[in-house]
Amino acid sequence: MSAPDSTTGTQAGHQPAARPRSGSGRYIGQRVPRKEDSRLLTGRGQFVDDITLPGMLHVAFARSPIARGRIVSIDTDVARDIAGVHAIYTQQDLAPFNVDLLSFYLVPPEVETTPLANGRVAYVGEPIALVIADSRPVAEDAASLIEVVFAEEDPVVTIDDARRGMPVHPGAEDNIAAQMGEEEIDEDLQAQLDGAPHLITHRVVHQRISQSPMETRGVVATRDGAEELTLYITCQSPHLVARWVSLALGLPQTAIRVIAKDVGGGFGLKNHPWMEETAVILAAQLFNRPLKWIEDRYENLIAANQAREQEMVLQIALDDEGKLIASHGDYSVNNGAYPQLSECNIAVHMFVWAAYKMPRYGFLTRGWYTNTVGYAAYRGPWAMESLIRETALDVAARRIGIDPIELRRRNLVTLQDQPTTSCMDIPLEDITPAECLEKLLQAFDVSAFRKEQEAGRLQGRHLGLGIATYVEPTGAAGAITTMTGELAQVRIEPTGKVTATMSTHSQGHGTATTMAQIFADRLGVAYEDVTVFEGDSSRGGFSPGAAGSRQGVIAGGAAIMAADLLATRVRQLAAHLLEAEVDAITVDDGMVHVEGAPDKSRSLAEIASTAYGEPDRLPPGFEAGLEAQYRYQPPPMTFSSAANACVVEVDIDTGFVKILRWISSEDCGTAINPSVVEGQIAGGLAQAIGMVLLEEVRFDARGNPLAATYKDYHLPAISDVPDFEFVHASTPSQSVGGMRGVGEGGAIIGAPALVNAIADALAPFGEVPVDLPLTPTKILGVIEGRDLRSKPDSDQHQFIAEHTAAGPQVEVPATAAGTADQTAAPADIRVDGDWNMVLSTPMGPQEMTGHFETDGQALSGYLSSPEGQMEFTGTVEGGNLKFDLKVQKPMKITLKYTLAVNGDKIAGKCKMGIFGSAKVSGTRA
Amino acid sequence: MKPAPFDYVAPATIDEACAVLAEAHGGAAVLAGGQTLMPLLNLRMSQPFILVDIGKIAELKGISRANGGTHVGPMTRQCDAIESKILAQDLPVLVQAIRHVGHHQTRNRGTVGGSITLGEPAAELPATAVALKATIEVRSIRGTRQIPAAEFYIGPYMNVLEEDELVTGIRFPEWSSGHITVFHELAQRPGDFALVGIVGALAVDSGRVARAGLAWFGMGPTPMRATAAEQMLLGQPLHEIDPQAVAESAIADTAPFDDQQASAEYRRTVGMRIFARTLREALRTREVA
Amino acid sequence: MSKHTIEMTINGRRHTADVESRVSLSDFLREDAGYTGVHIGCDHGVCGACTVMVNGEAVRGCLMLAVQADGARVTTVEGLAAPDGTLHPVQAALRDEHGLQCGFCTPGIVMTMAALSAREKRPTEEQLLNALSGHLCRCTGYQGIRRAARKLASPEPAESTGGDSV
Repeated sequence: MSAPDSTTGTQAGHQPAARPRSGSGRYIGQRVPRKEDSRLLTGRGQFVDDITLPGMLHVAFARSPIARGRIVSIDTDVARDIAGVHAIYTQQDLAPFNVDLLSFYLVPPEVETTPLANGRVAYVGEPIALVIADSRPVAEDAASLIEVVFAEEDPVVTIDDARRGMPVHPGAEDNIAAQMGEEEIDEDLQAQLDGAPHLITHRVVHQRISQSPMETRGVVATRDGAEELTLYITCQSPHLVARWVSLALGLPQTAIRVIAKDVGGGFGLKNHPWMEETAVILAAQLFNRPLKWIEDRYENLIAANQAREQEMVLQIALDDEGKLIASHGDYSVNNGAYPQLSECNIAVHMFVWAAYKMPRYGFLTRGWYTNTVGYAAYRGPWAMESLIRETALDVAARRIGIDPIELRRRNLVTLQDQPTTSCMDIPLEDITPAECLEKLLQAFDVSAFRKEQEAGRLQGRHLGLGIATYVEPTGAAGAITTMTGELAQVRIEPTGKVTATMSTHSQGHGTATTMAQIFADRLGVAYEDVTVFEGDSSRGGFSPGAAGSRQGVIAGGAAIMAADLLATRVRQLAAHLLEAEVDAITVDDGMVHVEGAPDKSRSLAEIASTAYGEPDRLPPGFEAGLEAQYRYQPPPMTFSSAANACVVEVDIDTGFVKILRWISSEDCGTAINPSVVEGQIAGGLAQAIGMVLLEEVRFDARGNPLAATYKDYHLPAISDVPDFEFVHASTPSQSVGGMRGVGEGGAIIGAPALVNAIADALAPFGEVPVDLPLTPTKILGVIEGRDLRSKPDSDQHQFIAEHTAAGPQVEVPATAAGTADQTAAPADIRVDGDWNMVLSTPMGPQEMTGHFETDGQALSGYLSSPEGQMEFTGTVEGGNLKFDLKVQKPMKITLKYTLAVNGDKIAGKCKMGIFGSAKVSGTRA
Repeated sequence: MKPAPFDYVAPATIDEACAVLAEAHGGAAVLAGGQTLMPLLNLRMSQPFILVDIGKIAELKGISRANGGTHVGPMTRQCDAIESKILAQDLPVLVQAIRHVGHHQTRNRGTVGGSITLGEPAAELPATAVALKATIEVRSIRGTRQIPAAEFYIGPYMNVLEEDELVTGIRFPEWSSGHITVFHELAQRPGDFALVGIVGALAVDSGRVARAGLAWFGMGPTPMRATAAEQMLLGQPLHEIDPQAVAESAIADTAPFDDQQASAEYRRTVGMRIFARTLREALRTREVA
Repeated sequence: MSKHTIEMTINGRRHTADVESRVSLSDFLREDAGYTGVHIGCDHGVCGACTVMVNGEAVRGCLMLAVQADGARVTTVEGLAAPDGTLHPVQAALRDEHGLQCGFCTPGIVMTMAALSAREKRPTEEQLLNALSGHLCRCTGYQGIRRAARKLASPEPAESTGGDSV
């Protein structure tokens, strides 16, 4: 690269020579086809699982089948003897590396987080041992034979459990992972709330979400000598991964290269490595062979960090005109056991009223540790603020009797109101939610809809309209150590082609396309002649890549600045070579022209060739070559705004929701490529539909995940997502190029728009509790005015984790459950007699009666069910029963019962061969 | 996850397949289309010692008419059954049911017999076999058996097959031409298992119901035959049928459970409505015709 | 566990190998035959990313054993574009309509649409969308995929071409 003086710049606020117009240019603003597509469409993409290195071996993990307990012993002897197994590592083997995982902020987490379980397990799916084998199937064979004995303990699963349960982390006083705000509502605020003409208290429960990128996590790690480490890893920024690995693993002397050419979606999950990736990197060093681990979908759904599980109560005081007076929010988020950062989501409170004229706001916000897989980001991590505010405003509108659109008009911050600061001191200069709303209403005839709605209700059709408005902080830079500016490096090759090196990273964002559009536009070359290289930490400079809707804003600005520096050099050189004034030089479609002298036109290739190869012909002091770089530091924050309208029909017989129409009116400033912008919004909206209607990571009371396959975790399919209509406001921002971020917005605003539409449709039946997902069962409950949900203790489907957990066997009877207070009074362990029992099979409860007779340690009896009666013999010891039943149907399997009697209760499990284990519970008959 | 190791054989005849099954003493799994078994293998939820692929047995494929009924070879692919002219004429409701099984891509390999044998309680085809009073033909080295579909299922994914037996055919009795078909499946997305499903047929003679076959899916641990509703309909003049009353008696023959997708109470409430709505529409279609 | 010698035609080229019985067709195509355009998104038959053509029909590569494809004609996403790089009409439609973002689910979607488009009659929009319900895409919200399907669909409903050929 060139000397800094002539061709680089680093200061913030360094403006380009001519400020670019917003909107359409030759390429900026055009819907050009994507550069990425031809390789991805022909199977020539390079995802991490496509990498094969010489000598590479494969990794599988043995994982915890229980949510909480102490590891008594790990026996790897049998597993190690399998042909093709090279090594098995536990935390004991990795401990000498002394690695503590780091958060996104590159600080150690609040609780010690090791790559493999360190003496205890704290969630189902926690990796306990790492197997290295010739192939993945063989590694899994071995993992399934590792025997782990646990002293199981009662887990803390929900936020509610966390409030009163035993601390998840030994030595901690409680389960609070992070807390901010005031525990008591300020007296003055309380008085304002109490004294207001209208006080809305609105509660939202948001389910846990799996980010579910279509490409799961994965890494190929190879230690090439003592000083080089190369990682192929699916991630959101190779630079951030390199920095994280260097710090977390303590490798300041190592040349770390991280390559991630194609990544199959990230959505926050792949911000930085976590336990499994770290374990693989360490194991590659220990074993000194390249290792590959590709997470399978089962692992991804139970053991990859998850997001969103949260609940919030928002109080809003309004006057009779619907003007906002004051508000208070109380928020909690489930952090799981080992969150990627201990999170109480302060951003929820910072932005909840940023777009509204809210005079006063107070809050309490907390994150809770539980015995579930840890928290990570998901597209718009603070989205609760829009969901709860926008749904609460609709409740308020119905309560006060004001049109919800009018309520928003009376309270939204408009351009005329700015500059101003929000009640949480957020400076606002150019947010446009009110303008987006008006544009939306030009595209959607509300009064015509209301007539249709009224007519429909008379015919039993229940239509609903949901409107939502919001603002989103995007392109943040400077406040968090990892959220930096962006570096652009660009050169015109001696061939006249343009090559740029960027630190952008696409997990579908198409940054190689949008950045190429900028370079082509600003340098006057054909889009086809520009190539942007990214996805490799050996190129460009530090950037967190895709995080916080930042790449279009910041990298776009960097590309413009670098291109303009280079364009200036081209004109200087051309003016010298063609004996013209610099101002007379233009570059268009790869040709350099001199104004008024068409005979002097030369190809850019000719000029470039001279720049590199004929130093004698360069102007005095002109640095050879045609290269430039610029690190752009944008304004601290750039807001995007939007308003959405969603129309649904609810089938009141079934509780099914059909989305009939959806209009997005957003202001993302300059749209570099409107198709890419709309693609980002549409993807986010589809995820919002998933959150509102379909997706849910659930656990049973023992912390077993209930959605371990895509049969149970329902992602939106093509049939769930309507055609979206788009309206663009395009108010240029203060950042170079005028872009505003658009990566996360759809996922934020989509949920309240859809919830509001459903609530509007069902208004005749009462308010819809915002308890996501709004399943047909919950919606029909509102329509029927009765709770149709399953009883809390009837979760019969506690099977999956135990069934399919690769590896460890629980050898502790359920009733021994860890708390094992040996000094307690002896339990009532009368076994003999009849028992009413329920076997909780995957497909539902099976009732049966058991008859037991004991003679010393000998047990005999029978189990009786509608299918018939079967006799058995077994053993009994201190109330613990063991017996086997051979069953012929549906196939020949042996049912192994392990039960324990305590008073008039009996509990335990039944191992059902290939069908895994089922819980047994019952009472004395 | 990848499957645990197993052996694989692909016999060419039914006899060979039966011999392998007998020898395996319950350690074998029969691979038909594999669209349900393969996920179970891949998740290591099923770990047989040997997989018996019956895909190369020609005599297990095809659809034909015989003895006044319709014979469906178990290895008939779902996509082929959908295109069958015989089924379109004889058993249109079976075709309708098959269109709802899985997705286009799985129907290209999934078989009619595989789905019927497996007995997923929320699946379409087991219930269709029960409703249409099909007979499952079974063979082993010990001989053959004919099992009424209504007696075939004993629990979720559980049936009365012995470990050495192979399903060799599904025989549907004749449903007179012009019979009324009943089918509705309520599922959140195409290809999902049903929250509530109802399937059946009503044969009509002189304006009265001459034969009724109705079964639920997704409404209990097995396909649930709506026996009481069938009884109630028998002999009734079509114009006197009260769909609501029939639905109320049909719902008594269900035993729905709670799961991730819906609660038992939801299934009962909506099941009754769907049943009444579907029967009403079926009768109305008949009137129009 | 048994090993089997199999032979199949992949993208017009003959391929012979010894495989373990437990190896799925998708793993075989990726790891043995080198067609890494076959993507594995779930390995349990739901997401559709591994969809390939077997004897001209779209099937889930993860729900079939390699040994079952012995003697079959298999086409992967690598086998569609012309030798000179000209995209197959399905690929071109997806590119023109911005029907992909990360591209991980894309090969499966391409194969389903290509298989349907290869039939005698052009598929209807309904047939295409119905078949596409067997594919999960987490990025696009399906907008461009649906536009591409509409572009490829015939305006008239196709007639059933079936018969009792089995």
